[in-house]
Amino acid sequence: MIKKLSALSLILITLALVGCKDSRRIENAAVIENVSVDRGGEGILYTFYLLGSGDKPRAVSVPAASFEEACALAEEAYIPNLSLAKLELLMLSEDVYREVMRTDVEYISTQSSFSPIAYVTLCDRETIRSVEKDSEVQRLIERQLVLLKKNNPSVCVDYLSIFNNLERKGEEGFYVAQISSKKELKVSEMHIYSKNIPK
Amino acid sequence: MQTKVAFSAKRLLLTLLLCSCSVILLQSFDLSPRAGFLFHLICIAVGLAVSFLFFIPSVVIRVRTGFDFPTLVHRESPRLSPFIAVFYGAYFVYTAVFFLLPYTDMFCKKYFPETSPCFVAALLLISCVYAAAKGTNVITRFGIFLFVFALIANVLMMGGSVSSLSFGSGVVLNGTADELFRGALYFVTPAFIAVIFGFLSGFTKNFRLRQVVLTLILTGVKYAAIMFFVCFALGAYAYRQEYQTFVLSRVAHFGIYSGIESVYLALTTMSVFLIVSLFLCCVGKSVGQSGVLKHIICFAAVIFTLHTCAVYLRPVSELLTDTAVMVGFTFIAAVVVPCAYLIFGRVRLDKKAVGA
Repeated sequence: MIKKLSALSLILITLALVGCKDSRRIENAAVIENVSVDRGGEGILYTFYLLGSGDKPRAVSVPAASFEEACALAEEAYIPNLSLAKLELLMLSEDVYREVMRTDVEYISTQSSFSPIAYVTLCDRETIRSVEKDSEVQRLIERQLVLLKKNNPSVCVDYLSIFNNLERKGEEGFYVAQISSKKELKVSEMHIYSKNIPK
Repeated sequence: MQTKVAFSAKRLLLTLLLCSCSVILLQSFDLSPRAGFLFHLICIAVGLAVSFLFFIPSVVIRVRTGFDFPTLVHRESPRLSPFIAVFYGAYFVYTAVFFLLPYTDMFCKKYFPETSPCFVAALLLISCVYAAAKGTNVITRFGIFLFVFALIANVLMMGGSVSSLSFGSGVVLNGTADELFRGALYFVTPAFIAVIFGFLSGFTKNFRLRQVVLTLILTGVKYAAIMFFVCFALGAYAYRQEYQTFVLSRVAHFGIYSGIESVYLALTTMSVFLIVSLFLCCVGKSVGQSGVLKHIICFAAVIFTLHTCAVYLRPVSELLTDTAVMVGFTFIAAVVVPCAYLIFGRVRLDKKAVGA
């Protein structure tokens, strides 16, 4: 009896897990691996870089007031099968980080699909442009962030540590990573004050 | 079917240790976000000290008579057996759903959002029915394997979070009396293992009281270690998300390799499997001869029905996942009923008197 039941349950499990129902082909899924935030003509512009094998990344820009709004708009109007589970890097332009850093990191902290240790860095406009042109730039930035974290553990390079530092009250501030195209995309550290980043 | 061979009490308590540790694996909302690590340590100590008290009646029965509680009732007062069976049947069904609900919820929210929680519960229950039919001896052997796996998983989870440690805050002892009560109440949840022990200790040999003490101490150490990493590696971020131990497994990284969520999923799946299988063994025993497949299947069907009701009806779900209700029910099952039976039944706790 038990053997029959086990065999039956194994058949059912196999049938249930074949994945033919509601499947999504990998080439149709829009896996985002990088997002940059910069000031555009109509306000803040969120650019989603899709995972791909080409030399130049496929990018979709969405004007929005916050990352939450940008994600909703992108899924609704621009990228129907948007997947942010593999997001590795969020690049905030030096012009806009004061406006968006707190709200965006807070939003990300409530979403279970994001990895808490994905990288966040400040950068200048030229760096964002070079990311738009060449896929290899993102890899280079990530490698540098890993090195920076290793050499200087006090620098906050991910959502987790930035969120926790923004939540702490009565502290002087904290260090985040900063990339400058003038220094050939070298990552340095920048001290920012929590009080300068409004809620 | 089940073998009647007695196995070491150490093995049963090792399995119960894994069951009690699964409480913290599925922890989600019950602890105060603003309380510091030391405050959580006090809650853990109080909670596990109370849990030890829950063990006393079953330990007394086991040591003095050599039997477990249902066997003693069956031998000494057969007329009372149906009432005891009904009460403990309800208890084990309730507790099984108490663990199954957060597990299926976590599985569907964190891993496969498009999967039905009922489907996950059904698959797990089928495996548990098979394991329960094989008996306690086989399940506790699986416990040895799971112990090794849990050890590796915890080392990976904690070792990978070391680089995220930050001692900026959280050491301070802040928290109110109400938070202390709620925290301690949460850490009394593992006392359900006292009821399992009361039902299955009859299969064991070489039992010593220190084994129970060691089980609870190791549970406390595991809880303290998890809380330490939740407080200092995750910080405020932990309380923005459900299932903090899951977040801990996500944060764990070794160089460029990050996230051991699959290891966490395997560990929770096996822990919940172990708990529900042991409950089905106990439930089979409470209704009479242990390991009877039709009893086990019946109770698994009841557990599945209750789980399905809880998935679709929010008030049912709230009642079934309420820690206070769970602890109250456990108190009645582990302490009130055995003590009432011994006092009002005037059972002589003597090996010769009960024919052991």
